[in-house]
Amino acid sequence: MTTNKQKVRRSDEPIWWALFSGGGVCFAVFVPAAIFFLALALPLGWVELDHTQALRAFGSMFAVVFAGAVIALPAFHAAHRIRHTLYDLKFAQRGLIKWGCYGLAAAASVYALGAWLLQLVS
Amino acid sequence: MSYKPVLGRTWWLKNPAFKAYMLREATVLPLTFFILCMLAGIYSLLRGEASWLNWVAVMGNPLVLALNALALLASLYHAATFFVLFPRVMPIRLGDKKVPDNLIVAGQWAGVAGVFVLASWIFWGVL
Repeated sequence: MTTNKQKVRRSDEPIWWALFSGGGVCFAVFVPAAIFFLALALPLGWVELDHTQALRAFGSMFAVVFAGAVIALPAFHAAHRIRHTLYDLKFAQRGLIKWGCYGLAAAASVYALGAWLLQLVS
Repeated sequence: MSYKPVLGRTWWLKNPAFKAYMLREATVLPLTFFILCMLAGIYSLLRGEASWLNWVAVMGNPLVLALNALALLASLYHAATFFVLFPRVMPIRLGDKKVPDNLIVAGQWAGVAGVFVLASWIFWGVL
């Protein structure tokens, strides 16, 4: 017990599960309103949001909710589901699917949160 | 020959419960489309006003609107299936009384409504 020097192999699954779960809450609670206002009401002209207003809103502290709860976490939620659905559909390239899905979600998150942060400090 | 059963790609078509499972999994496809729209929106926003107006115009394309309307329905379907899990996974007790399941589900829908109210206040009140 005291001399066990074998390295413990830890699963990385809790990380993906936590991001999936957090993204699931955001997808249910924040995303419906975001889709309604930004993807339906805005292009249909039900709400006004010109470039100056949008830029100011995106550069505020609160826009982290947009970048994090509407883009980053739901992206990881989607990545996790797509990964497991591809496994369920019996695609064999498991490693490639896993890192492809999470890699794209990570890229989307870094872009959204990075753009927000740069806008906040500028 | 092998006696090991082999599961094909279409196993989920054989049972209504499996189809419902796959439908729920598929809710992330229109979500992914919406996320890509938002990333394009950030990119256009930072490029300047002409680019931003062009993005709003593209978002108004009937096909894009239809896919985003589908994403809204998908998010509500996901919410409906997700909220009923909460009282099963984490039953809440107040004293020795169990909080009724449908109250917990209603509470979560109140959260969704609250976000809509907040967003309305931002769009029609603050901006």
